[in-house]
Amino acid sequence: MSVNISNRSFRPYTGEKARITRAYDYLILVLALFLFIGAFHLHFALTVGDWDFWVDWKDRQWWPLVTPLMGITFPAAVQAVMWEKFRLPMGATLCVTALLIGTWIARIFAYHYWNYFPINMVLPATMLPGALVLDAILMLSNSLTITAIFGGAAFALLFYPSNWPIIGMFHVPVEYGNAQLSIADLFGFEYIRTGMPEYLRIIERGTLRTYGQYATPLSAFCSALLCTLMYTLWWHIGKWFATVRYLNKI
Amino acid sequence: MATTSEQLPAFSETQSKIPWYVQDLPLYLKGFGILTVIYIGLRLYQGAFAISSGLDSSEPAFEEYWMRLFYIELSVLAIFVSGVWGYLWISRDRHLDTLDPKEEIRRYFTLTMWISIYTFAVYWAGSYFAEQDNSWHQVAIRDTPFTANHIIEFYFNFPLYVILGGCAWLYARTRLPLYAKGVSLPLTLAVFGPFMILVSVGFNEWGHTFWFREEFFAAPIHWGFVIGVWFALGVGGILLQGVTRLTELLDGLEEAP
Repeated sequence: MSVNISNRSFRPYTGEKARITRAYDYLILVLALFLFIGAFHLHFALTVGDWDFWVDWKDRQWWPLVTPLMGITFPAAVQAVMWEKFRLPMGATLCVTALLIGTWIARIFAYHYWNYFPINMVLPATMLPGALVLDAILMLSNSLTITAIFGGAAFALLFYPSNWPIIGMFHVPVEYGNAQLSIADLFGFEYIRTGMPEYLRIIERGTLRTYGQYATPLSAFCSALLCTLMYTLWWHIGKWFATVRYLNKI
Repeated sequence: MATTSEQLPAFSETQSKIPWYVQDLPLYLKGFGILTVIYIGLRLYQGAFAISSGLDSSEPAFEEYWMRLFYIELSVLAIFVSGVWGYLWISRDRHLDTLDPKEEIRRYFTLTMWISIYTFAVYWAGSYFAEQDNSWHQVAIRDTPFTANHIIEFYFNFPLYVILGGCAWLYARTRLPLYAKGVSLPLTLAVFGPFMILVSVGFNEWGHTFWFREEFFAAPIHWGFVIGVWFALGVGGILLQGVTRLTELLDGLEEAP
């Protein structure tokens, strides 16, 4: 059996009924905040994880590909419910903001204050500009196809430029122990981690710089293509999970 | 939080400043407060004793400070789950067919509070202590499945949010007519899916029997947790079910200033 979702014309409540619905809104806000911090953060930490944790993992080949690709999942799923059912164009921004809150709390209290990693070494990446654009395109177009193609692509393409002001300084080359390395690499060598060995660190794989400086935009465009597909897939996953069915038994 | 419809008149006579539809707000806030104290307390305990006694599981101090905490956690959880699930079941409403619409509205609010407490526990388990697991295992050798962070994350946080999710499910099943007539698929997904994260601990620890040092967080042995947490998206369906029913009930309610 399914719940019948009313299609009646909009009629705002007044008096006590308005207060009841507003109180329910506040309850849902608190619920949603912790839900998306907890759920999206766990998904993100275990799929993007290391690329987001460490400054020396933030490379030009994998980081701009993996992060938007895994990061567009929950925003798409939540948009599918919040826009289609409630006309709230904020699903992506809500998810990404929740993720940022969760990661910042963890980086400060779990990495810095417990195990003394410098904050600069564990700065989280931001996907906020891409999320704002994703929400705006959905609101303006009201179209899954247009949002998937243009919003999904923008989400991926905006990722590296929006993070460049945060990480650019760590890509400055230095000479250290008769070798040239980046500041980010230096952090990695100074703070020994079990995840540090080069057979684990997945960055800049391949022969010696096939395309040189073009690696980043190529990764971003590859991510843009995959994000359009991932967005559509997760939109439908979000809709599927938001079922209103009641079962006779489990 | 467990009121039967026979108790309704007592509620309407109560001279409370709290509106009738959020009668359980004080309990809800207390729940948040208690959980916050527990989680921050556990984090402070880690800060105080993880370096001094949590690095080598063969040390007597590890047994004293960490395994003892592990046994205490299990005992507390066993008592809590028996008590709260038992209470929710025993105090179930046996007259749901005569439930007053106002009382049903109030119970939808209380259900939302239960789910909110559940998501608060999901936050600590899925966000803070989960990432902290990576931080700790970057600096500590993993010589036991009961590391200073696992004892809290896997064997306290995970069971606790499962228990609280079960509370929300049981509350709905025993006190709300629609949830009693049929099994809500989204509520079931949102509670039982993340429960599978607890089961994934087995897969994770099996994987770690091969490596005692390396910690690569995006590794496939961690993806079982990821699939489990996707089911939290079922909350969207719970919201739709709740809003739909609340709208029906509010439409039937008399206007009040």
